This record gives sequence, structure tokens and C-alpha cells, in this order.
Amino acid sequence: MDNLARAYLPRIAGLALAGASFLAVTAAEAKEITIWCWDPNFNVAIMKEAGARYTKTHPDVTFNVVDFAKTDVEQKLQTGLASGTADALPDIVLIEDYGAQKYLQSFPGAFAPLSGTVDYSGFAPYKAEVMTVDGQVYGMPFDSGVTGLYYRKDYLEQAGFKPEDMQNLTWDRFIEIGKQVEAKTGKKMMGLDPNDAGIVRIMMQSAGQWYFDKEGKPNITGNAALKAALETVGKIMQADIYKPANGWTDWVGTFTSGDVATVVTGVWITGTVKAQPDQAGKWGVAPIPALAVDGATHASNLGGSSWYVLESSAEKAEAIDFLNEIYGKDIDFYQKILQERGAVGTLLAARGGAAYEAADPFFGGEKVWQTFSDWLSKVPSVNYGVFTNEADTAVTAQLPAITQGTPVDEVLKAIDSEISGQIQ
Amino acid sequence: MALARRGGIGRYYDVNGWLFVAPALGLIALFMIYPIAWSLWMSFQSGRGMMMKFAGFANIVRLWNDPVFIKALTNTMTYFVVQVPIMILLALILASLLNNPRLVGRGLFRTAIFLPCVTSLVAYSVLFKGMFAIDGIVNSTLAAVGIISSPIPWLTHPFWAKTLVIIAITWRWTGYNMIFYLAALQNIDRSIYEVARIDGVPAWARFTHITIPLLKPVILFTTVISTIGTLQLFDEVYNLTEGKGGPSNATLTLSLYIYNLTFRFMPSFGYAATVSYVIVILVALLACIQFYAARERDR
Repeated sequence: MDNLARAYLPRIAGLALAGASFLAVTAAEAKEITIWCWDPNFNVAIMKEAGARYTKTHPDVTFNVVDFAKTDVEQKLQTGLASGTADALPDIVLIEDYGAQKYLQSFPGAFAPLSGTVDYSGFAPYKAEVMTVDGQVYGMPFDSGVTGLYYRKDYLEQAGFKPEDMQNLTWDRFIEIGKQVEAKTGKKMMGLDPNDAGIVRIMMQSAGQWYFDKEGKPNITGNAALKAALETVGKIMQADIYKPANGWTDWVGTFTSGDVATVVTGVWITGTVKAQPDQAGKWGVAPIPALAVDGATHASNLGGSSWYVLESSAEKAEAIDFLNEIYGKDIDFYQKILQERGAVGTLLAARGGAAYEAADPFFGGEKVWQTFSDWLSKVPSVNYGVFTNEADTAVTAQLPAITQGTPVDEVLKAIDSEISGQIQ
Repeated sequence: MALARRGGIGRYYDVNGWLFVAPALGLIALFMIYPIAWSLWMSFQSGRGMMMKFAGFANIVRLWNDPVFIKALTNTMTYFVVQVPIMILLALILASLLNNPRLVGRGLFRTAIFLPCVTSLVAYSVLFKGMFAIDGIVNSTLAAVGIISSPIPWLTHPFWAKTLVIIAITWRWTGYNMIFYLAALQNIDRSIYEVARIDGVPAWARFTHITIPLLKPVILFTTVISTIGTLQLFDEVYNLTEGKGGPSNATLTLSLYIYNLTFRFMPSFGYAATVSYVIVILVALLACIQFYAARERDR
């Protein structure tokens, strides 16, 4: 044993020395870009793909993609920014569009403006709008949350509905269909989390309205779209065509388990829907139902996010160049993430690619991507403002009152007073 | 003599004494007093994120006009008023039952009841969430036994959600309080009970007239501790409701509201500091009342 150690010792020492010198060399040259994002099947995987592409042409830059839960990313970012020390922060962070203005306005100087570098005219216009403060544009637009109505063809067929019957519905007709689906198949029409106002936001934006007007002032009591959306949610609850869910995982479980017949949400859910191979061929996609108000459309948006570079980052220049090179110009990259991950990017030039033309066997050979891309251009543009989280909380707080039959105008007043107390 | 001491050796001891405690005092000042003072200063400022400016009493005015704060305060007080007495009483009863030397397997029972306290707050909240889901084990058991015909919406109905939080914290903390009572019961002289029994005092009267009065200091202590714990309630609600305090803010607590104001909403650190001072004042007030109620009365 002793001899063995003696024989190997010089070699080990040599290796260690070589290792140390190697480390020293790489430390001097290599740049590592740290990135925070939240969905391992979606933006994390996509960012790793983007990083691999960039490293191919720039071998000196490597990537460290850190995967957190979304709320943890937001909380860690907010804490780091508030503490004023940059050490704990990444170089690039993913921020959901609803929260973008909040971060940009409450932490001025924390994010790097990209106005001169990135050509924003190549992106969907609403994306650049949510990341503009005082004429400066921050961030690299990423995915869109264009919405669709995913439905189980098999359940609806049992209830006597063909795919044609699912096109261009109104919400009243949707509820009507839901009742028949439950009567004939015993399945609920949709999963609904009473603590998540996502469905209200989808409906409201489809009619071109938001919690706030263009100036960022609360737009509640006179908001016809919000009123109609709340009435519709009330009707869905009274008709009892929904399966209640508590939290995101629970809600996802309502359709992955096959318990509900439809899902109304953003296109980013496609990956999750397709994650159930036994449901292949059973799903179809239709435009979301429309509200019965002026300006109502069948297109809306839920979520969607963008990449932001931290001003304090040591690798700021590399990070910006990376985003611009891959997310700003690489059409082929967008084709790949669309096919593999179902990410509908907001780079307009990417839409002409072959992937958007492809038919998806999971959806019975429908050209779903082309469809979503068409809807994306019809999404009404609204101002998300800086208090969407607060407004959402106020709306969810009042949802039970609506089910109990409180007049919607009173509910709107209550929401309005709660929001007024929150935004200061 | 006293004067001489003060000037010479006493002074030497004073200086050395202070030198010894100085590092500890310095750390306390840096990590306790400075943040407390700073948060007090922050509570007079308002603004978005880092754009803070002095606002005087604006945050206190905002408290009055904020329906969410009123709701959080009401919820917190509801938890306190309903849960603390139930838990204290339950812990007392369990402790005196488990103190019975003739009880077989009391070590096992004591461990079983104390075990919830050593489980992680987050882990048990997540478990409770699963157990009390619409199609969870609790609903299916209740339905199988025939107590309910349709599942109880534990997490989606305002009343049941509050009930669930109370059940959860009672489960978690009863054993903790029970241990204090068990320890105190060991200190009560057996002969007192013996005398009472010889005099024909029934078991219930022995409990109310001997056990409870002799445990009074410990009961006071656990009540104050539980009050503080309940007013700072955060983990359970956060994990049961995904950080939202829903449905319709029915389970929102003051601590969760502070968290939301700081991390989820537009960061308003000043207002969050003001709300946290509300908790400080409440805890101080309630502790005073409890000490007053449990004071030694001269007869």
C-alpha cells in the first residue's frame, strides 16, 4: 500500500498541478453567464439550447442555467435588487410580462437598456411596449402567451359535438356545451382554480381591456370587459361545469388526468398537454370563446415572458451579445424550440419557417402552430401597468361573492376600493 | 469605604466587565437594534421599490383605508381567539392524562403527540394540502364513514380554509405546549393530590382547583408564546394556499400580507414595515393583558 502510494504520488501531484494551471488559464479567459428561469420543460430547456448554440461560435463563453420555481425567481430577484448588492444576482433573468414594469420602475438602473442594440421593430409590438420605461427599452422579448381553447375531441364527440361546433364560440354557448358534456360523459368542462384570476385576464384582454387604462389608472368600475368576464366566471360556477383546483399543480392535474374536457390558457401549456402520450390524437385546438361586449375577439394572451440583463453584471456585454445573436436573429433556433418545446416566440421573422407549417400528429394532424401564430397577430394590445398582481388578488378575493349572487356592479366597487388601497 | 471601592478596584471591574460584554453588545446592536431602528425609520417612508421618500404618517393613514389589511388583521385575530384557547385546553387535558402513572404505553403516546413539533413546517403543510384536497384522504374517509355526502371544499371555501389552518396549527403545536405542562406537572407534590383524594375531592375538581392553579405560571408562559406564534403565523398559510392567503383572502395573515407587500406586489417596504409594527404593538398589548389577568392577587 505504502509502495503504491509512493509510486503514484508524483503523478497525482503532477495532475493536480496541471489541473490548477488549467483552472487558472480558463478563469482568466472563460466567461460564465448565469441565468435564472423557472420551467425545466420550457424556458430552462430552451435557454440551455440557446447557450449551446452560442458556445459553438464563442467557445470562451459558457452558461449556467439555474432552475427555480417561478415565485422563487421573483422573490430572489426582488430581495437581491432591494439589498443593493449585485453579488447574489444572475447576469440574465427571466421576467413575466405582467411584472416587467414593476421591476423596471421600482429598481431604476438595475437592468441594462438594450434600445441601441436590439432591433425591436422585428418583434411583436406589444412585447416591446411592456418593457419600455421613459423611452428606453429593456430586455429581450421571448415567448408569447397567445391563448387557445384545447378540447378533448373524444369527450365532445360523445356529447355530440364535432370540431366545427367548437369554432368561434361565445362563452354562453361554451357553458351550454359544458352542461351537455357533463350530462353525457360525466366529465367537467374545465378545471378552475378560484385563487387564480388567469381566466378573468384572458377574457378581459380578449375584449381589449385591462385592470388599468393606457395611463395606468385603475379601470374597474367602468370596465365592460371585466364586468362581462366576472359575470361569465359566475355563470360557469353556477352552472357547476368546472372541477375546482387548488394551485397550479392541481389545476394541471385536472386535464392531464383526463378529468376535464377543455383547457383555456396560453400556448405554453402545449408541452404539458403533449406530455401525456396516451392522449395523443384526442386533443383539438380552437379559438377561445368570445365575450358578449363591444370589441370582443377570439384572441387573447396569458403570461409570456422576456429576458433581462442586469446592469451590474460582470458579463454584461457578453450577455447582451448572446441574447441579440440567438433570440434576436437565429430563425433556426426559433423553429427548433417551437417543435421541441411548443414555444411561440415573438420574433416576427421566425414565423415564416417550416416548423410553423408543420402538422402535429398529437392534435390529429392539425397545423396548430400556424393557427396560434395567426391568433397572435390578433391579440388586442393593453397596458399591463405595474399593479397586475395587486389587481389579481383583489379580483380573486371577490370571486366567491359572485358565485353567491352578489350583483357584479357591487363586486366591481369592492374590487376598485381594494385596488385603490393597494396602489400607492 | 463604598466610595473608595468605586474609585479603585470597582472601576477596574467595571471596565473589564464592559470589555467582556462589548463584543456581544456590539453584535446585538448591529444585528438587532440597528435593523429594528431602521425598520422604524422605514415605516415613515413610502414609495415604489427603492424610490423611497419620507412620508410622515401616510402609512398609518393607509392602514385605516386598506381593506386587505383589515381583513388580514381580522383573520389573524380570529385564529388567535379560536385556536389558542382550544390548543391550550387540549394540551392541558392531554398532559394530565399522560401524567397518569398507571397509563400503559404513555411514553409512546407522549412521543406520538410531540412528534408533529419536530416535523418541518413546510413538509407538514404540503402533506395537509394533499390530505385535505377535494379527492384527498380526509374527504374520502369522511365519505366512507358516512359523515358527509359531498366532499368538503377544505381549500376552496373561505370558512373551511380557515378551519383547515386552525386544524393544522393545532395539530402541529399542541404537543409542544403539552411538554411544558408535563414537565410542570412533575413538580407538583403528589401529596397534595393525595390529601384531596382523602378529602373526597372528585377528579374534575382536582384538575380545576389544584392542577390549573399550580400550573398558572406555565399556562401564562405558553399562552404568551402561542399568542406570539399565532400573530406571526406564516408558513402554514403560505404553503396551504400557494402564498396567496386565499380563497378570497380568508386565510390571509398579517405576516403573509407583509411578505406579499415586500415580495409579491409592487415592493412597498415602508408600508410593510408599518404593518410589522402593528404585530409588535399587538403582541405587546396582548402580553400585557395576559400578565394582568394572571397576576397574583393579594388576599
